[in-house]
Amino acid sequence: MTEPPNNFSFLDPVDPRLSRLAGQAESYVHTDPESCLFKLRLMVETMASTLIRLSIQQPGPLDLGAMLGTLERQGVLPRHYADHMHAIRRDGNAAVHGDAAPSSTALRRLRDAFALARWYFTQLRRGSRMPDAAFSPPLRDVAASGASSDAAEALEDRIETQRTRTRDALLLYKDAEEAAAWSVRCFGELRALEDIAAAVGEPLVDAESVALVMALELEQLLEHPVYGKGSRDARRDAADQLEAVKRRLDEQEARFRSERERLIGELRP
Amino acid sequence: MTAGESPKSGKRRLEGAELATAWFVTARAMAVAAIADPSWSLDEVRGKALDASRHSGAGLYAQAVLGLAEQDCIMGKSPERIGRMTLVDCLATARGMPEDQAEKIMTGAMMMAFAQRQLTPLAARFASMLASAFELTPAQFESCCLSGRVLADMTVRQK
Repeated sequence: MTEPPNNFSFLDPVDPRLSRLAGQAESYVHTDPESCLFKLRLMVETMASTLIRLSIQQPGPLDLGAMLGTLERQGVLPRHYADHMHAIRRDGNAAVHGDAAPSSTALRRLRDAFALARWYFTQLRRGSRMPDAAFSPPLRDVAASGASSDAAEALEDRIETQRTRTRDALLLYKDAEEAAAWSVRCFGELRALEDIAAAVGEPLVDAESVALVMALELEQLLEHPVYGKGSRDARRDAADQLEAVKRRLDEQEARFRSERERLIGELRP
Repeated sequence: MTAGESPKSGKRRLEGAELATAWFVTARAMAVAAIADPSWSLDEVRGKALDASRHSGAGLYAQAVLGLAEQDCIMGKSPERIGRMTLVDCLATARGMPEDQAEKIMTGAMMMAFAQRQLTPLAARFASMLASAFELTPAQFESCCLSGRVLADMTVRQK
């Protein structure tokens, strides 16, 4: 049986599986938002594993979050698209675990998937222009009331704003433009400081021990007769501290999920 | 005298957005120092993409180790605050920090420097200037290097 044409049919020549998954997600967006999110997550996972295979040319991590991290670090996945992928991953995970989602969540992630699909097309078809296709939102059933839709949209706006704040707080720079401007500024100042320090004979740090610390693999460092204890202590402390941040971020996502659940409960007749 | 001021040492503990600004200026400077060669032209520096791992490692460090809130990080990086702080200002601020705070900033700076497991001349120079501004002993500096190296693996290189 052939699928009806969809927003993602331009993916057909690149990867028919993706086009099919996206088409299915699109058809579920209003009737079964959780299934839509599940299909989108699968779509993102397929994209990520293909990109890993093509760009790194060695087996990558199996976990989607780790795959996205690897692609970002390798410079394959620009931040803007990484944000879309992470949003789909988070909401898709929640759907897989049985959390209810309003159709407004599914529709937003479908839009994200559309932007991603256009970018992905150019990655697989090097030299091709981004498809001209414009996103056309799937039609909503008339049963959905305007008021309920407004409440769900307001909630999604709030979630998106908070996720953006969280991301902005974590990143070194707001965007590439700021990074470039700061790099130039810092470089000029660093070079001036280097000139002055060299002229007055300012001593340098003990580069030899720094180089040794840097050259050792972490496992070697942890077992090192001199550096081992300090390294193990540092790792234990850092693990606790990083875990606390991760827990806070997880709690934030859990709050979003419960707010969505509550809203769906309120809207249900 | 403010709450964070110590009458004995003359050191002043930075808090909130003020600490965030000092940290992010340090982190940005080290991120550049760690990839740039002094002989480069400005265009070469501009064109060199900052790796994504350093991007999020700095913020993670701010929240996990320095204990900064999201709002502090955002305010600390606002152009009105961070745009006014030069590296000389940053070093002067460093000089006034209490020891424990200084060690944390130094550790974070070394974490940024170690992200690619190489120490460029500019990174070595900036590390030296920071260590000197913080008045760290060689043993304290070594401890910061160790912790920075461990953190680089945990937050920057492998996350």
